[in-house]
Amino acid sequence: MPIKNRLAETHAEITSWRHHLHAYPELGFDVHETAAFVTERLRGMGINDITNGIGQTGVVAVIKGCTDTKGRVVGLRADMDALPILEASGVEYASKVPGKMHACGHDGHTSMLLGAAQYLSENRNFDGTVVLIFQPAEEGGGGGREMVNDGMLDRWNIQEVYGLHNTPGLPVGEFAIRSGSIMASADEFEITVTGKGGHAAAPHDSIDPNVTAAHIILALQSIASRNVDPLEAAVISVCALHSDIDTHNIIPQMTRMTGTVRALKDSIRSQVEARIKKIVTSTAEAYDCKAQVEYRLGYPVTINHDAQTKYAAQAARTVAGNVDIDMPPIMAAEDFSFMLNKRPGAYIMLGNGDGALLHHPEYRFNDDAIPAGCSWYIEIVEQRMPMQ
Amino acid sequence: MPIKNRFAELHSDIVEWRRDIHEHPEIQFDTHRTSALVAEKLREFGCDEVVEGIGRTGVVGIIKGRKDLSEKVIGLRADMDALPIQEQTGVDYASKIDGAMHACGHDGHTAMLLGASRYLAETRNFDGTTVVIFQPAEEGGGGGREMCNDGMMDRWGIDEVYGMHNWPGLPVGEFSIRAGTFFAATDLLKVEFEGRGGHAAKPQETVDTLLMAAHAVTALQSIVSRNADPIDRVVLSITSFATSSNAFNVIPQKVEILGTVRTTSIEMQDLVESRVKEVCEGVANTFGGISKVDYNRNYPAMVNSTEQTAFAKDVACKISGRCNEAPLVMGGEDFSFMLEERPGAYILVGNGDSAMVHHPEYNFNDEAITAGCSWWAEIIEQRMPLEA
Repeated sequence: MPIKNRLAETHAEITSWRHHLHAYPELGFDVHETAAFVTERLRGMGINDITNGIGQTGVVAVIKGCTDTKGRVVGLRADMDALPILEASGVEYASKVPGKMHACGHDGHTSMLLGAAQYLSENRNFDGTVVLIFQPAEEGGGGGREMVNDGMLDRWNIQEVYGLHNTPGLPVGEFAIRSGSIMASADEFEITVTGKGGHAAAPHDSIDPNVTAAHIILALQSIASRNVDPLEAAVISVCALHSDIDTHNIIPQMTRMTGTVRALKDSIRSQVEARIKKIVTSTAEAYDCKAQVEYRLGYPVTINHDAQTKYAAQAARTVAGNVDIDMPPIMAAEDFSFMLNKRPGAYIMLGNGDGALLHHPEYRFNDDAIPAGCSWYIEIVEQRMPMQ
Repeated sequence: MPIKNRFAELHSDIVEWRRDIHEHPEIQFDTHRTSALVAEKLREFGCDEVVEGIGRTGVVGIIKGRKDLSEKVIGLRADMDALPIQEQTGVDYASKIDGAMHACGHDGHTAMLLGASRYLAETRNFDGTTVVIFQPAEEGGGGGREMCNDGMMDRWGIDEVYGMHNWPGLPVGEFSIRAGTFFAATDLLKVEFEGRGGHAAKPQETVDTLLMAAHAVTALQSIVSRNADPIDRVVLSITSFATSSNAFNVIPQKVEILGTVRTTSIEMQDLVESRVKEVCEGVANTFGGISKVDYNRNYPAMVNSTEQTAFAKDVACKISGRCNEAPLVMGGEDFSFMLEERPGAYILVGNGDSAMVHHPEYNFNDEAITAGCSWWAEIIEQRMPLEA
């Protein structure tokens, strides 16, 4: 039982949905048109239990199986938002909105979940309830967190959650997964160093926050190289540095740096946070500056649950045959982590074939992956909630 | 099949040998007394052949089984050398040599392999040939490499090799092993910086080599924090920093730094080697000096063969009831040279709650002897069984 036959018939229709969403990308929580499109398609399939406005602009829809003897409820999740990138893919259905682009394939994820919904509503070969979760703002806004905070999981009594992401570099239609930490946490820090501004020709009359900031950046390198266990993963990147004055001849009063921290374990996150604060405070003190660190916890580590990872891999094997069950973790983050922190579940990678990487202006979601992705969603439902 | 009874009887003898070796530690290839003691014992046990001087001071003993229908030859390896550490254990058989100590338990490894040799020579319950290998200079000298370079593997037709190390923190007599890369590759790094020395009161007439080297030490941190894949494992430690002059008022002409690099993949080893050269050359250029990098690939990563690891694990489980999956170790081990030439496996045997290896208070735990000896003996009897 590989790809579902019915999907060969619906493939063209699902592809047309995907191309429509691709042409009209929306950012963050501002996915009104996309959410309306999703709602309209679901209604067209005869799905009437649809709730809008969960997690601001998220959509939740319910499909009941032929039977419901055990009260089982499985959630399937897709993300809907695009990125602030000027598209350079050259496809004929390219973004009609300059500076916005579906460069992470969320158009594909949303369309595949719609395709699965169509099949599930036609067949209903399962004993229980499917909850379809279409979320906004995966790319930094925490749409997944918002949906969880709106009480979605309890309201629909969701017992397990499953999600997928397309992956360039993995052959089309193949799957990859791992148990435990699969994607990193993503925290943000903002460091403000305040010295004493002055004339650049009289450094002795000032306290230079730029030199102090430079020393801090160097000292931060020692966290990954000297403090973190080499068998663990940690990334600390200082990504931006701005002085409050932009001239050739003034030593600024204040310099601000921002960056990100990635880890695969909460203990490493805490260790890195503590070291950043210590290094910034002490280095600033050494150079007679004042410093402030704001450390903001962002997306948590995405942790696949052991049992659900096995189910997800089994569903993938049914569809594709070739499933890597021990892929290396990825240092990027994913806000499906908020759902996985509350409910057992698993997140799987679906091959997008060769081509540009995610978030690249030339990235293209591969429509040939649609039947595999839809089939996986369907198999999860039919295998986790089998008919008697 | 738990501990072999015979080793309970032999225990006091083996402890006596161990403590004799402990009292007389010898460093690197200078294991003359230890080698002579080993050779004398092996002859006393009735080994069929004892050859000294392999890999300079290594000793090889041959024990033929009752039959040789299999024509199989298995090598068992122990290391004999001590460390340049001042002992602080306070035991009554403490080192009699100032500044030398068996702080890594090689005294225990040698005594255990002698115990197994005695048993195997007495019983010879196997179909094939056992080669017992006692090597010098595991601690940095590459005694294992020297024995291989002397043609040991071909001369005795060795088919497989097995090795063992005691492990503080693992309960006494328990075992731990992993297939694939087990111990890290250990490279040695020496960089000489040269600027222009001079009077410390006239820095403008010099090129300050010390400042240049300090910048290089800091910049080298960026290899782990910025260049290496965070999922891969890399350690780069600068361990020594020496100026060519030792005065308060002289800017030195030269600075030499030493360090070590640990990696578990060839990709990372290649990356670190090229980055070390680029960083040192670039920083030296920046300050108007020159650098000379001597990057010495010393011990390769030690990789356990899959089939032999499964077998070694099975034997260990039968002796002590269980055998853990060991984590990767960032330490190096020159048994890697033997494993590069022949399939085989390296296992850890628990030393209980002792000080860590290479600590002045570390001591080998004599209670581990019966488990270690039994493992050696069972490897031989089960890998080359007499037909019933």
